[in-house]
Amino acid sequence: MATATLVLTRVRIRGRIGLVLRVALVLAALALVAYPLLYGGDVWAQRISRAAIYAIIGLSINTLTGHAGQISLGHQAFVGIGAFFAAFTASRLGAPLGFGLAAAALAGTVTALLVGMVALRVTGLYLALVTLAFGLTAETTIFNWREFTGGGAGAFAPRPALVETDFAYAVLCLGVLALVLYADWRLVSTKAGRALAAVRNDEDIAATLGVNVTGYKLGAFCLSGLIAGLAGGLFAYWNQVVQALDFEFQVALVWVLMTVVGGLRSRLGVVIASSFFALLPLTLPNFLSGLPWQPPFLNEAVYHVLPPFIVVVMLLVVLRFFPGGLGQLLAPVTGPATRGSKGARR
Amino acid sequence: MGAFFALGLFQGAVYGLLAVGIVLVYKAKRVFNFAQGEFGGVAAFCAFYLTVSLGLPYWIGVVGGLAAAVAMGLAVERVIVRPLESSSRTIMLVALVGVALFAIAVTVLVARPIPRVMPPIVEGGTVDILGAAILPQQLILLAVLAVLAAAMAWFFRTDLGLAVLASSQDLRAAQVVGIGPTAVSRLVWGMAALLGGVAGLLYAPVGIFTPGFMTFTMLVPAFAAAVLGGMTSLPGAFIGGLAIGVVQNLGIYLLGQQLAVPGAAELSVFALLVLVLLIRPQGLFGKEA
Repeated sequence: MATATLVLTRVRIRGRIGLVLRVALVLAALALVAYPLLYGGDVWAQRISRAAIYAIIGLSINTLTGHAGQISLGHQAFVGIGAFFAAFTASRLGAPLGFGLAAAALAGTVTALLVGMVALRVTGLYLALVTLAFGLTAETTIFNWREFTGGGAGAFAPRPALVETDFAYAVLCLGVLALVLYADWRLVSTKAGRALAAVRNDEDIAATLGVNVTGYKLGAFCLSGLIAGLAGGLFAYWNQVVQALDFEFQVALVWVLMTVVGGLRSRLGVVIASSFFALLPLTLPNFLSGLPWQPPFLNEAVYHVLPPFIVVVMLLVVLRFFPGGLGQLLAPVTGPATRGSKGARR
Repeated sequence: MGAFFALGLFQGAVYGLLAVGIVLVYKAKRVFNFAQGEFGGVAAFCAFYLTVSLGLPYWIGVVGGLAAAVAMGLAVERVIVRPLESSSRTIMLVALVGVALFAIAVTVLVARPIPRVMPPIVEGGTVDILGAAILPQQLILLAVLAVLAAAMAWFFRTDLGLAVLASSQDLRAAQVVGIGPTAVSRLVWGMAALLGGVAGLLYAPVGIFTPGFMTFTMLVPAFAAAVLGGMTSLPGAFIGGLAIGVVQNLGIYLLGQQLAVPGAAELSVFALLVLVLLIRPQGLFGKEA
């Protein structure tokens, strides 16, 4: 009896510490974003939008690979379709931004559903191959279809007056990111999240437990495609012009790498790693060439090809030493904060 | 049309050569080697440096390029593959994608992303086959592919090859009869890198080459060739490579030239890959499951 009371008290205390920790973490994260957003001018507002879009893409891959255990090396197809649909509705139909984003999300969902139907038959490494080939095909065929995407010149997506400034647009991107984070959190802490975990671990066992494997797999593809399409829509209005070149083969691979570096199923890790990968190519060359001392054999041109190199080294170090990614490194901090509300997380 | 057929056949020889390496790694380790193309990329850049930049004889370039590829293969085996042996195959795949991107990043960093022209093994004019202009280099490529595919098929019948197969089927049982897993792993990755190096050295002189030239356009058709051949079959990789090349070039002719569909090359390979996986996932020569 006494022991039970003791345990209960401990749980309550830990729950309270967890709440405090969680609030502190969220406040710290907000401060970290708010400072450059408020004092960094347009340049930083643009960078924060880009980081938020990358984070949304990372969460999209996390939904598919992290939660459902399905690999996709062709995510640029979903993001790109979203971007081109948003640009198409904006420039050809003159539709408002909300409609454009909805169209982008829908286009991403439908595309992902089609790939998901193939994924019902083709699994594992073969699925990786099919998605890779699909991404390549989307890049060269659909994104170069002149009537739809404007060919090499690209499709334009002017921002409406309300989010015309970079500051307002960054706030919009952060808002969408918050929504996606909320959706991810709700997903893992409900029945659907536990069902996806069962599918991820063993499809046959999941089926014997009464989990609709086909439905959940397709659902995961659709949700991932929806989030990716949304990110594509945001990208279209962010850049205000969309080209096939923006969705190259290498981009999709880097997105997968950033999600793995962040740590599959770790929301915080994925967001941090994605933001880092988004900002590195924009900030590192300027930072290095601004240093007072320049090594003799390095120059600006070398700094511009450094980011992909750093990204891959990070991936290899992470896989070799912390297979759980940043999420694993952050566990001592986030562990106490999330314990008690873990839901279906493993 | 006949010209596209011939072009496809010779283009397919490169896919076949890469596919032989992919099949070797898959047979031995059940891993999709996404770094296979970059073994060739590294070999081509090293050979270019030795022969063109330093002006050394061609054979030194070939030996140096192959040595660089094998060194890379052994390094990948030691630093990436062996430590990740026990992790999931998806993680291994992502790691090998990382290796390919790493090799590309290094070549961009060291060699700059400028197009280069590698001198061919045999100088001389083109040969007319079915109305297509074929370089002597491409004839050599097809012959080398046939020899290497046959050699690898023979290898899996030797004691050494059987040891590799045994090790892939049951690592523990193979260890009990004295087959060291580390030696097998080194052998397989070294051989795969050598095959990749040969592919890179033979293909680089066919056109201009840039960093990542073996990965960005060659890797997916090469995997499609391996899948079409059955993923474990070396004759399959040979025939699959040629078939993918022909299908791709007929696609370019029918879809790209007649119907003006953009990206016809990628589209036809993707369509064939999906069809094979949906209708006959064991491929042409693969065994069931």
